[in-house]
Amino acid sequence: MSDFLRSYLTVGIFLGVAVVLVSALLGLSSLLRPSKPTPQKSIVYESGVDPVGTGWAQSQIRYYIFALLFVVFDVEAVFIFPWATRLEAYGLFGLIEMGIFIFILFLSLVYAWRKGVLRWV
Amino acid sequence: MIATLLAQVSSTFEPPTLDFHALAPEITFAACVALLYLVDMIKLEDGRRLMPGLSGLALLAPLIPIMTLALDGADRTLFGGAFVVDNVALLLKAMFFLSGYVVVLLSTNHLAEGDFWESEYYLMLTSSLLGMVVMSSARDLVTIFVALELLSIPAYLMATWEKRSLRSNEAGLKYYLMGVFASALMLYGMSLLFGISGSTLLTDIGARIAEGNSSTPIVSLAIVLVIVGFAFKVSAVPFHSWAPDTYEGAPTPVTAFLAVASKAAGFVALLQLAFVGFAGRTDVVEPLMWVLAAASMTVGNLIALRQTNIVRMLAYSGIAQAGFILAPFAVMSDSATESLTAVVTYLVIYAAMNLGAFVIVIAVARKTQSGEISSFGGLFGYAPGLTVAMTVFLASLAGIPPLGGWFAKFVVFKALATAGTPWGYSLAVVMAVNSVVAFYYYALVLKAMWFDEAPYGDTSPVRVPVSLISATGLTAGATILFGVFPGLLGHFTGSLEGIIAVLPGG
Repeated sequence: MSDFLRSYLTVGIFLGVAVVLVSALLGLSSLLRPSKPTPQKSIVYESGVDPVGTGWAQSQIRYYIFALLFVVFDVEAVFIFPWATRLEAYGLFGLIEMGIFIFILFLSLVYAWRKGVLRWV
Repeated sequence: MIATLLAQVSSTFEPPTLDFHALAPEITFAACVALLYLVDMIKLEDGRRLMPGLSGLALLAPLIPIMTLALDGADRTLFGGAFVVDNVALLLKAMFFLSGYVVVLLSTNHLAEGDFWESEYYLMLTSSLLGMVVMSSARDLVTIFVALELLSIPAYLMATWEKRSLRSNEAGLKYYLMGVFASALMLYGMSLLFGISGSTLLTDIGARIAEGNSSTPIVSLAIVLVIVGFAFKVSAVPFHSWAPDTYEGAPTPVTAFLAVASKAAGFVALLQLAFVGFAGRTDVVEPLMWVLAAASMTVGNLIALRQTNIVRMLAYSGIAQAGFILAPFAVMSDSATESLTAVVTYLVIYAAMNLGAFVIVIAVARKTQSGEISSFGGLFGYAPGLTVAMTVFLASLAGIPPLGGWFAKFVVFKALATAGTPWGYSLAVVMAVNSVVAFYYYALVLKAMWFDEAPYGDTSPVRVPVSLISATGLTAGATILFGVFPGLLGHFTGSLEGIIAVLPGG
């Protein structure tokens, strides 16, 4: 067996130990504990408060658009931070490159604003 | 620690020397797309009328730098080999721009008359085409992946463009889920390739995996995963399940776009990966491609026989045609030049004839509001022009001389025969049988148009808008021209030394 595969063997052993340990402990406790279910006991536990309604909740679709717009800034930051640490080396070339990059991302933000996406109705 | 690392490399940075002529098609087109966004931004609803014309111009403008680059003729390599502009890339770029133009012509009336967002559609279409154009030159895993996502994500949205239709939503969702799944597989394969070779450049990867010491199963796994990822994109059997539903549900102009441009982009990526990246490991690529090709043609054709909806029929016929395009990959080591020529030629001709078939489907559906093959009944009686054009496209898809499809099939057969191996000959036999089977379902449509009665005796004429007439003219012209003068493509595909040079012994 190569070194490469042997290092995965460790992962496999850990996985096996984890499965055995969890199932042994859960199995042991289910054997030992008394089981007397009542309707009160089988309600979903919500910190002692009685649950209201169903488990399905709708969230506003608007949040989705904000999440998407967040990606614009996120991607911008991911590229700007490493770029900023080396701006001196990149010189004018790097400045122009980043200018083009930011312009394209900025375009998307202005586009969203102009299309009325940012308005909270 | 990062700071010290950065300090070490900071003295070595040299701005790359940019060959702006080589990048001119992409730069022109990207600037035009940005302009389209600005127009939409400034004019809002008033801009709807402008968008088809402007996006058409945006698609034609980059043809000028492509032409100057083609006249110049020199192969250009940029960014350390990640971006290559050669004759094949230029031909494919021109094909993408022109098919994009035809799709704009197809969409104009369809969108204006239906319940669609218009301006955004053209923005999505042009963004997606930008990805395809970059794909034609990409010779690097990262570039290929970015181009793939740029072309796919707008395409997922376009499939759901008929917002209030459940079928369109289903089409987009299926396409999206399958596409993302394929991307994940492909990325996994790409990460393995990078791990093996330590480089994202296809030429480096090709050199490293061709070495003897990398004959481990992991190389095969990486190659298979990447190819399977693109097999989803080109809807090769057994990765085709999304295609018929997506094609039927999506708005028909989008279907035309997906069936032609998006599929061609997948093949372009496969072309570069197979002929540049995996050329040293044809022992893995060839059997896989043989199976994919044979399965795609056979299954696609057999299911197409039973279809009653013309868009579904064209979807399955597209799966079968994908099998024909994959066939030359199966003999790429024994007849490298012929295989490459065959794939590129088939792609260009397939784009013309398949787009043409969709133009007629859209034109006829304007009157009949139906996608059933029976709705084509008696078409010759009241729309002889459309009937003749459809006959040209279907006969070309079936491979009847002297139309383009015939020449495309001919070069594939030539590549398979030149290889001179049992694998090549057996695949040629499978392909010949399938060509005959395929003729049956194309002929069913021909029979309906020429011999059947019009449904409900409705023989009022079809009003065909100018944009659809010019789209028909463009595609029919190309289909006939490539069949009568096949040498036209030879100028581009004849000189393939640029790609072939990296093949071992090529």
